[in-house]
Amino acid sequence: MEQTETKSFYSDKLKRAIHLLVFRRGKMPGAREWELKEKVGKNYEQVLEQLNQMLSELDLEVKKVTEPSTAQTTEEGTPVSMDEARYYVALKGSLGLKEAKMIGWRIDNLAALSGVISYLVAKQGKAPRDDVEKVIALKYGRWKAATLVDVFLRTGYLDEDDAGVMALGWRTKSEVNLPALMTKMTEGKV
Amino acid sequence: MTEKPKAKGGRQVLAAGRRELKEVIETCDAIERRKFNPFFLDVKLGVETLRQYFPHWEGFEDHCLDAHALNRLSEVVRLQNTQLKFQSSALYAEPEFVAKKFQRMSEKRLAEVFLQSWHPITELEQLTNETISAGLDYWNLLLPIQERWKRRAYQRGKNPETADSGTLTGLGIRDEEFGKQLTGLWNELRQIHSTDQKAVDYWRFVKGPNHQETVQRAYFVSFLVTYGYATLQLEGDQITLIPTEKPSEKPLEGGTSFPIPIPKEA
Repeated sequence: MEQTETKSFYSDKLKRAIHLLVFRRGKMPGAREWELKEKVGKNYEQVLEQLNQMLSELDLEVKKVTEPSTAQTTEEGTPVSMDEARYYVALKGSLGLKEAKMIGWRIDNLAALSGVISYLVAKQGKAPRDDVEKVIALKYGRWKAATLVDVFLRTGYLDEDDAGVMALGWRTKSEVNLPALMTKMTEGKV
Repeated sequence: MTEKPKAKGGRQVLAAGRRELKEVIETCDAIERRKFNPFFLDVKLGVETLRQYFPHWEGFEDHCLDAHALNRLSEVVRLQNTQLKFQSSALYAEPEFVAKKFQRMSEKRLAEVFLQSWHPITELEQLTNETISAGLDYWNLLLPIQERWKRRAYQRGKNPETADSGTLTGLGIRDEEFGKQLTGLWNELRQIHSTDQKAVDYWRFVKGPNHQETVQRAYFVSFLVTYGYATLQLEGDQITLIPTEKPSEKPLEGGTSFPIPIPKEA
């Protein structure tokens, strides 16, 4: 009896957690740590762990990404530490070329993204936009380079500040295994 | 303790010091914007420059400039430290090497490399407050369907209508009026031809006081040519007209169509 109660209790929380993680509600997908705490409860980490086990059978996993914290203060002016971690459901394995095409990615766009990300990583995560465009232009020409950079900015894979310095976007940090990419890029056969 | 510089020499030293400090700051800023490698700047030399000019500073602005330069140099030291740590990490690769590799690898291979390290986020899109708000804005700006249809009808122009004989006669394209106009134009052409004793330039003859008149004259000339009242000759880019003495008054057999566009400025 007790076992059944525990199971139903978790089943309800699992549903709430997966809804928060999968259904997009704002600009960014996934759920923030405080949202999960509020909607799922203090033991949200245990819930996510159980969810992870279930998702792994579907080649999916729950991923945690820490975002840069924003300074928050109470009404009295006391600084408050905010939970800035965000949880997503992401693919555990990897996609093949055909699958990537099926979800709307062009091979040349993926190739350019691969080059840009590895170049930015080699530049410690930041480089002027002109330099980035020059690298892409080596393979795709100047006009396409500018278009591709805009596409990557729009989709969140790259970020640009007011001074025109490009950095890795939130999506790259969440979705790309950078050490693996750099290893494969440097070892990759021509 | 260094002695303070005197009048003229002191001003020169101050100017040189300010210039050098500004150069140091600019270099540091460029390094922070990733234009140069952090080790491009000799920080020790930069600090020595600050030390050299520090005793000469007099005003508040000079001290602020000195503090700013020191702050920028410390940022470069931080970047040098980050670079050393980065070079010892697994992510390190020479940017030039990566750029060359990107240039030489095939698109397929690059895409495969990326896909092997890419774990895209799974998400389902749905209505959000933002999308509802955008939809409402669009709806509020949208004109009622009747208004939009009115606009389309206006853009399509007027439908063809029937014209009575009076209207056609008034426009000079029916019966005796039409014949009169043709004869008048033919006589005019003959007169010019007899005066000039050479073929009449088409555009000179057709040209009217306004565009509408020009089009109308060109329209009548086409009849003169078709019914043998005049012959049209082409000499390079020049089009000329020669009136015939005895018109056949029937459409010429074996004639070819020769469209002449009339520009607005003609």
